[in-house]
Formats: sequence, structure tokens, C-alpha cells
Amino acid sequence: MSNTAFSVLGLFDSSQQLMEAIPSVKAKVSARLNAYTPYPVHGIGKALGLRKSPVGGMVFVMGLIGALSAMAFELWTAGIDYPLVTAGKPYLSWQSFVPIMFEVTVLFACFTSGLGMLFLLNRLPFFRHPMLRSKSMPFVTRDKFALAVEAEGQALDVDAAAAALRAAGAQMIEVVEQPAPLAPVSPNFLMRVFSVIGISCLVAGCLTYWGVKLFPVTIPMVHMLDQPRLDPQQENSYFGDGFGMRMPVAGTVARIPLPYAVKSQNDASALGNPLPRTESVLKQGRQAYDTVCAVCHGLLANGEPSLTSAYGAKPANLVAEKIRNYSDGMIHFVIMNGKNAMPSYASDLTQDERWAVVHYLRALQRALNAKDTDIPKESRK
Amino acid sequence: MNERHATTTLSAGTAVGLAGVLATGFVAGWERFWINWIFWFLFVLTIGLGCLFIVALEHVVSARWSVPLRRVPERLSSLAILMAPALLLALLSLPVLYPWTRPEAHADPVIAGKAGWLNVPFFAARAVACVGLWAISYRILVSGSVRQDQERNPRFNVRVRRFAPVFLVIFGITITVVAFDWISSLEPAWYSDVFGVYIFAGTFLAGLAASTLAVLYLMAKGKLPGVQADHVYNLGGFLFAFTVFWAYIGFAQYLLMWYANMPEEVFWYKERLQGGWGLLVLALAVFHFFVPFLVLIPRIAKSEPKRLARIAVVVLLAHWLDLYWMVFPVLGQGPVFGWPELSFALFFIPGSLLWFRHMMSRGAAMPVGDPILREGLEFRL
Amino acid sequence: MNSEAVASTNELIPEILRHPPVLDGVVTPDGLDDQVLSTVERKPPRAWFIAFTCTGIAMLTGLGLMGYTAAMGIGVWGNNIPVAWAFDITNFVFWIGIGHAGTLISAILLLFRARWRNSISRFAEAMTIFAVMVAGLFPLLHVGRPWLGFWLLPYPNQRGIWPNFRSPLIWDVFAVSTYFSVSLLFWYLGLVPDLASLRDRTRSSVRKFIYSVLSVGWRGSAFHWIHFERAYLIIAGIATGLVLSVHSVVSFDFAVSLVPGWHMTIFPPYFVTGAIFAGFAMVVMAMVVVRTTMNLNHIITMYHLEVMNKIILTCSCLMGYAYLLEGWTAWYSMNKFVHHAFWAYIAGTYAWAGWLTIACNVLVPQLFWVRRFRRSYPVMLLVAFGVTVGMWFERFVIIVSSLHQDYMPSAWHLYKPTYVDIGILLGSFGLFFTLVLLFARVLPVIATSETKAALPGAQPRHAGGSYE
Repeated sequence: MSNTAFSVLGLFDSSQQLMEAIPSVKAKVSARLNAYTPYPVHGIGKALGLRKSPVGGMVFVMGLIGALSAMAFELWTAGIDYPLVTAGKPYLSWQSFVPIMFEVTVLFACFTSGLGMLFLLNRLPFFRHPMLRSKSMPFVTRDKFALAVEAEGQALDVDAAAAALRAAGAQMIEVVEQPAPLAPVSPNFLMRVFSVIGISCLVAGCLTYWGVKLFPVTIPMVHMLDQPRLDPQQENSYFGDGFGMRMPVAGTVARIPLPYAVKSQNDASALGNPLPRTESVLKQGRQAYDTVCAVCHGLLANGEPSLTSAYGAKPANLVAEKIRNYSDGMIHFVIMNGKNAMPSYASDLTQDERWAVVHYLRALQRALNAKDTDIPKESRK
Repeated sequence: MNERHATTTLSAGTAVGLAGVLATGFVAGWERFWINWIFWFLFVLTIGLGCLFIVALEHVVSARWSVPLRRVPERLSSLAILMAPALLLALLSLPVLYPWTRPEAHADPVIAGKAGWLNVPFFAARAVACVGLWAISYRILVSGSVRQDQERNPRFNVRVRRFAPVFLVIFGITITVVAFDWISSLEPAWYSDVFGVYIFAGTFLAGLAASTLAVLYLMAKGKLPGVQADHVYNLGGFLFAFTVFWAYIGFAQYLLMWYANMPEEVFWYKERLQGGWGLLVLALAVFHFFVPFLVLIPRIAKSEPKRLARIAVVVLLAHWLDLYWMVFPVLGQGPVFGWPELSFALFFIPGSLLWFRHMMSRGAAMPVGDPILREGLEFRL
Repeated sequence: MNSEAVASTNELIPEILRHPPVLDGVVTPDGLDDQVLSTVERKPPRAWFIAFTCTGIAMLTGLGLMGYTAAMGIGVWGNNIPVAWAFDITNFVFWIGIGHAGTLISAILLLFRARWRNSISRFAEAMTIFAVMVAGLFPLLHVGRPWLGFWLLPYPNQRGIWPNFRSPLIWDVFAVSTYFSVSLLFWYLGLVPDLASLRDRTRSSVRKFIYSVLSVGWRGSAFHWIHFERAYLIIAGIATGLVLSVHSVVSFDFAVSLVPGWHMTIFPPYFVTGAIFAGFAMVVMAMVVVRTTMNLNHIITMYHLEVMNKIILTCSCLMGYAYLLEGWTAWYSMNKFVHHAFWAYIAGTYAWAGWLTIACNVLVPQLFWVRRFRRSYPVMLLVAFGVTVGMWFERFVIIVSSLHQDYMPSAWHLYKPTYVDIGILLGSFGLFFTLVLLFARVLPVIATSETKAALPGAQPRHAGGSYE
């Protein structure tokens, strides 16, 4: 009996001989049998009493997980988190998510199969197995078939095993010893390992920093920022005065009625509101007001916007009596020229929008200064 | 049940069915009659053609394992010849079901433009040509094989190995013609160039399922001595693979039409996804893909006769559903299944089974004259 | 397959019907090892260095021009509006297609238990990986700012956006990267036992270390083989579906659009068939070279080449069917824009390319109906080269011809490639063949362990099922 032997190997010339040897050796020896072959031999699993491989089940489960998680991820991102209208398709367009779902399923399934087999089931990489240092290993990977009686941690009856193998027709018997115990790790070695890890981290960090921060702004990556086009205020030697930006040609006619001849607020009353007071105009006015005016004057035009604290000046209460008594033209004048701290909004609103805002303001003024007679008779208490 | 009993039952069913079939035209209307006629002859024809394709394919790749089983698809392919008169009779349905036969339809420039292809004389000529080519191919592929049982002449193998690739070409063209002429031109404005491939996929799968079912039935009766689980496993594998193929083609066609959303194409799908048809499509996806796919994934499932037989039945039913879903919407109603459909089912299904039993009884159940038979029986995975 | 039974029944079958032997002469496992693994251990012959220099120059030119493109922008290519995709996507689709033969040979034929696959599967898989590597450069390059390519991947970011999963271009990203990873994994797993052989044969300690690490301590234990075989077969099964899906997803790039001539539902199976077609042509050309230069005639036999040529013939007929259907459906659709697109294919500016495609893809391979031609090097190489050219031009015709004249005549514009386009195309071939040459020298070109397992006498008699 040997406490140091890991296994006893017998080499056979062909898979046929190996298969015939297994039952006879199994009968004589109580330890576990294993076979080492250059390629998978049909029927050897059954002969050695090996269980069927669970790879199939693992793959099915992971494939299913892949499919469901991919579809869920796509539905969430394209349907809920960042819905984009693409080709008029509904947000939860599952049909278009099928191809990626399929690919992710394949990815999960194949990697489970391949890496699960290697890492989990076969527990490879493993470089310290005694078989790798045996004399028989080169024969096995070449063309011989080894039947091994393995100790599995107990004492092994080497002679009995060798006799059984010889009786079964093995060409060469080898006793494979247990591996020598690992030497304790020296502090020097540990220092070297940690310094290598440390330096690698440092290098990786620097590369990442450079990659993410600096690389996109090095040439030629910045070429899209610096394009051969005319930017505003850029000089241009094509023109005599060197200016890139040019004035409109003399005699150019404005496309919309721009000139506003009114000089003062008092004269402004001469201009009346050219737009009718229809629902669509009021809607337009509301949209323009909410976009441009409500920031300072508030959604209800009562001078209570959400930004009061940020400004020193207090925006006017447009539904107060003073503004209610302004004529349409006077309100329009203020929009065109500004008043006190308010700048001109002539360039922010088109002519139609300005007059529509005036209409809307009137509606707000009426609404915030409602009289009892405004309530329909039926609803009055 | 014993043979005589079975024959009587099947004959009774066929007779009852025939009565119902004849009544349908007069009672339920000729449109209903002809749509059923088209649908059912296509169902049985595709099974027969699928089997003929299987036979030719086996010859082209010089498959060994399938030789013991080859007589079954050979006999089943006679269903295609049986359906030849049905197809020719169906030419009478053209004015009833096919809009392009009516002069009013030619007011639409799209249909008028196709008149060079979609006109009754050319259509009929194509139908006759297809039937003729199938008959010739059947004679060479199947009658020759049956004759070999007696003559034991290996020259048949040489001859058929040369003809089989030619038949594959013939098959490709004729199945495309069947698909475009009989199914697609029910709605002549529609077009899809993968349609021929789609019908081929369903046809091949139907042939596989029918052959598998027949093989398993004959094995259970002891009529195929020497055929092992290894052979059955291959049948299961093919059933699995081509279920996936059919689903791939079907989904690809749908995805492309859904995505581009062109009115001239997508109306065909719109009709077939609304209301009751939508539920039917769901059933189609489940029974034509998900059920066979999931059930046939495990290795053992593919060689277990009971499970495989059940799945083969499911696949045949699903093929039925596929054709039904393609053809019946032209009636303009939801899915209908009343006594006319039942009568046609009673006529065609027992009728085909009777025919198959009769054909099988005319000779050996295996190609006993084929020199490769012994090697085929010795096939192990 | 029980080989002794085959031998006895073979005698009863007339000569002409007998299953031809897959390998010539007597091949033994150790002979196989010596033949195949020794090329890895020897110094390469002079011919290899000459070939490597040529391909290396082509590769460096191509890479240099790619760098030039990245620096200067897509303007150095001939792309314009409306022909926004030209050589870039043509090359991408072409190279992905070349990869498909490898997966078909190694995966699909494994499922069919076709014994003849063993001699060529390793090489074909390697070609797949290299082809996909070359192909992947093009989508990355054609976006203009390849350094931002990572934007295509779904990672949480400060911009608050996700890639557009509805777009077939993103489907491509997933399909091609999955295809590459799975092919690499499959190839590597198959290599593990062979690397173990190399580890045990080598006398150089540096090589031993490298091979040990790469073979992850493989020792051929039956406990391991059982899981290995299962995992390998499962990946092969799944890879079959993957092959169908990858080129279908590539075809979706075109088929989901409205461009006349692109929106044809037959594109998915048509592209897959075309891919297998082009891939096999490349494998045949490579195998002819390997046979003649690496003294492996008895392992890669004329039988292998003949079967591959039959597959090429089949694909050629299928391509003919597809062209026929496309043309007929184009007429049948009664869509005047589609009519115009097909008129352009056959009589427009690029009609010469269309006819070249049909001649190379459908007509020339018909030579393979004749058995003598299937077994003749000159005819084989002519057909394979013709198919390669034909398939490249087919992609070119689909992309450029459809784009240059679509709906609005005011947007019509011709396309002319620049020297950068052509240089990058040649460079891609250079890159591919450089990688192939390196592979042939560094790793065993034949899957020795798989081939050993299928030799006559390799498996025990009366073994039912597999190793289970």
C-alpha cells in the first residue's frame, strides 16, 4: 500500500483494448477508475460508470435567461427609459427586438456551454495535476490510451493495481506520485506580485484617463470641431474688408413686416390688434406667452414667476389695474422695446405671436379679475 | 385495431366526407366549396411533394442511414400524384376565387400589369406542366425504386443519383409556381419573393412529419425490422432543425414587411392579424415553432418514439393551420370551421390514409433491392 | 459509424456506389501528429516568407489607408449622397459572408456527423475568425469617428441615451460580435486537446510554457471528455442557428429599408446562401494551397475538394434561383421604382457588374456538373476565384446600383471609387491572408484529435450511441 501514489496507469495501444480492459480491472480493484485518451472514446462513459453531463440543462437555463433579459432590457430602454419614434413604430415594438434577443440568447448559451464546461465542470485551468508530469502524458496525447487506478486521497494498493492492469494487457505500467507540496510563499515573491499588480493598475489608470479625457481631443479626432466652413465672426480673405459675415445686399426686402415706426408708448395706442380674438389665436398666444413671458411674469401673469428670487427686479403684475388700462398697442410697444429691466422681445416673437400674446394677456386679466356677473346664471348660488 | 377494421373505418369516414363535400357547393356556396378544395388539395399535395423532395435529397447526398426508411416517403409521395386530378379540377375555381380572372379587376393597373403572368391559359399551362414534371419525377425516383425490389439492379442507384439533383431544380421551380399561383394570387396585388421558400419550408417540414409519423407507426407494427433508435434520432433531429428553419423564414418575411410598412405589401398581414385571425397566428407560432422546438431540444426526446410521434402530429396540424391561415382570409370573414370544413377533412384525411395504406401494401416496406440497405441498417450514431 | 461493418458491406456494393474513403492510404494517429504538428515546430519554408511578405505589404498598405481615412474623414472615399454606402459596406458584407463557410463546416457538418469535415474544420474555423475580424473593421471605420465606436454598445451614460435597438445597424453590432465571440470560443475549445499535444511534444521550455497555459492543463481525462463532447456539440448546434441569423441580420440592413431593389423579402436566405457560397470558394482555394504546400494530400484529399465543389454547385443553383425570383418578383410587383432599379441592374451604368455577377456566380460554377472538373485543380481554382469575384460584385451591385438611382431623379448620382477605397479592399485581403499564414505556422491546421477519433479502428467495436 502506498500513501504517496496518486495513481497507477496502464497504457494500451487501442481504444478496443482499453474498453476490454475496463471490466476486468474494475472487478479486481476497489479504487476509482479513470481513463486518459487522446480523443473521446465512444461508450467509455458507460463503462466507467460516469454520470451524464449536465451541460445541456445549464445551457437551456442560461439561454432562457439570456432571451428574457435581452427582451426585457430592449423593451425597457426603447420603450420606457428612452423612447424614440423610429419609422413610426410603436415604442414597445417587440418585433424589432427579436434579432438582438436571439443573438444574446446564443451568446449566453454558448458561453455557458464552453466556459461552464471548462471552468465549472472540468475545473480547468489546473496545472498541478500529477498526470501532467507523468511519463505517460505525451503518449496519451499522441496515440495511447491510459487506464488509471486513482487513489482519491486514500492509500492505494499499487501492486494489486499494477497486477490487474498487466493482466488486462497494458503495455506500460507507471506509478504516478502525488505532487510535492507547494513551497510556502516568500515575502519577496509577494512583494513582487503586488508591485506588478500595482504598476499594472497605475498604467491601466493612466491609459484610461488619457484615453477617455485626452484622446478624443487630440488630432485627428478634433477634425470635426475644426471644419473648413465659415463660422460666425470668422475672418475671410475672399472679401476685401476681411469680414466673413456680410450685410444684406442693398435693396433687400424683408420677408415679414419688420419696421415698427412707433417711437413712444403714448403713440403706441394708435396701433390696434390686427388679429381676431379666436380660440386658435388665444391658443397661439398662450403657447408663446408660456414659452417667453411666463418665466418672469408667471404663468398667471400676476408677477409671481418661479424665478423671483434670482432677480433683483420684480417683474410687473400684468393683471393689475395699471396694465389692464393699457391699450393693446401700448402692451405691444412694451414687448417690442422693453421697459425698465425688461429687454426687447421683438426678436423672440413673430409679429403674429406678439399680437396673440396681447389677446391672451387680456384673457388672463379678465380671468384674474372676474366679477360675479361672469358666472353663468345657472351656476350662481 | 386490426387491418380490416381500420380499412372499414377509414372508408366509412371518406364516404361520409365525400357526401358532405358534394353538398357543400350547393348548400354553403361555391366560394366555400372551392376555398376548401384549394386548401385541402394543397395540404395533401405539399405532404406528397415534401416526401418526394426527401427521397431526392437522400439520393443527392448519398445518405446511408435513411435507406431503410426510404420506402415510406416514397409511398407517401404518391399523394402528390393522387392530388394531380384534384389540382386540375381546381382550375375550375379560378373564376370563383381568383380576382384577376375577372375583367373588373383589371381596372387596377397593378393587376392589369400582371396579366401577362396571371391569365387563365398560362396559369392552366403552368399547372399542367407542374403535374407533368412531378409525374415524370415520381416515375424515375419512386417507381424505379419499387422496381428495384424485384430486379435487384444497382444501375437504378446510379441513374437516380444523376436525376435527383435535376429533380431538386424542378422541385424548386414548381413549388415556387404553386406558391405564387395558388396561394399568393388569391390576392394578386400582394408579392413577396421569399414566399416560394416559405412554402418550401412548410412543405419539407410536412413531408418530414408525415414520414416520421408513418415510420414510427410501421416500427410499432414491426414492419421495419432492423430500424433502431439511432435512425429515429436523425428523423427527430431533422424535424427539430426544419421547425427552426420554417420559423426563421416565416418571421423574416413578417419582420421585413412589418418594418417597411408599405401599404401594397402589408395589407396581406393586416388582414391576417386582425380579430380571430390574430389568435390563430398566435396558435400557429406556438404549435408550429415553440412546442416542437422546446419539446425536441433534449437528446432523448428526438429518439423516443411516443414523444416524436406526438410532435409529428402537432407539426402536421400546424402545417394545416399555416395553410388555413394563408388561404381562408380571402373569404372575408373570421376563421370559419363548420360542417363543410369537417366534411372535407373527413374526405381528404381518411382518403389519404387509405391511399397510403394501399400503396404500402403493394410492396415491401423497405427498399429491399437497394445494395446499400444493409449498410443503412447498420448505422449507429 | 462502425467502420469494420462498412468494410465488409462495402464489398457487396458495386464500386461506383461505394462510400469513398475519406482519407487516402493508411493514416495512423502518430503519423498524423508528426505530419501536422511538425509544421508548427519547424521553421517555415521560403515560400511562406515570400507569401508573408506579399500579404504583409498589402496589409500594411490597407491599414495605412485606413488610418488615413480615420484622420482625414470619409471624404477621401468615393462615397457621396445618395451612394452613402459603397466599398465599405460591400467589403463588410463580403467578409462576413466568407466567414460562414467555416462555421458551416465545423458546426453544421458536425451535427450531420459527416466524417469528411475533420480534415478541414480547423482551417475553416480559423478562416471564419479572421474573416470576421477583417469584416468588423469596416463598420467601425465607415462611421467616420471610429474612436467613438463604443457608443454603439448599450452602457449607462451621462447623455441619458441608449442605442436604437430598433435599428438593423445595432442588430449587426450584436450579431457580428456574438458571431465572433462564439466562433473564437468554439475554435479555441477544439484547439485545447491539440495544444495539449503540442505541449507534450515540444522540447523548448518557452513553447512548453505557452502551450501549457493555452491548453489550460488538459489531460484527456474521460471525466473531462464527457463534458467537453457535450459542450462542443451543443455549441455546434447553436452555432448553426447563429450562422443563419448573422447574415440574415446583415441582410436586414438592406431589406428593412424602402430603397427599391433592397426591400426584397428573399434577402435573408439569399444572403446566407451567398455567404456559404463565397466562403466555400475561399476554403477551396485555401485547401488547394495547403494540399500542395504542406504535404497533407492524404489527409485533405480530392474527396474533400470534390464534396466542397458539389456544395459550391448547389449554392450556385440556389443563387440562380434567387436571382430569378428577384427579377420575376420585381416585375410582378408592378412597382415602377423597383422596375427601374432592376432595369439599372441589367442595362444601367453598373450593368457590367451585374452581368459579371451572374456569369461568375451562376454560369461558371455549372462546370461542376462534370465530375472531372470537380476534381481538377485548374477548373476548381477558376471557379473559386470567379465565385469570389462574383460575390464581391454582387454586394457591390446591390448596394451601389440601387443607391445611385432611387426615387428622386434629382438625387441621382454616379459613384466612383477612389484609390483609398481600392487600397483598403486589397489591404483587407492582405490582412486576411497574413492572419491565415500566421495561423498555418503557429497552430495545427488540422484538428488532429478530431481526425484521430474518426480514423478506421479509432473507436471500439459494438459501441452504441456515443461516449455515454
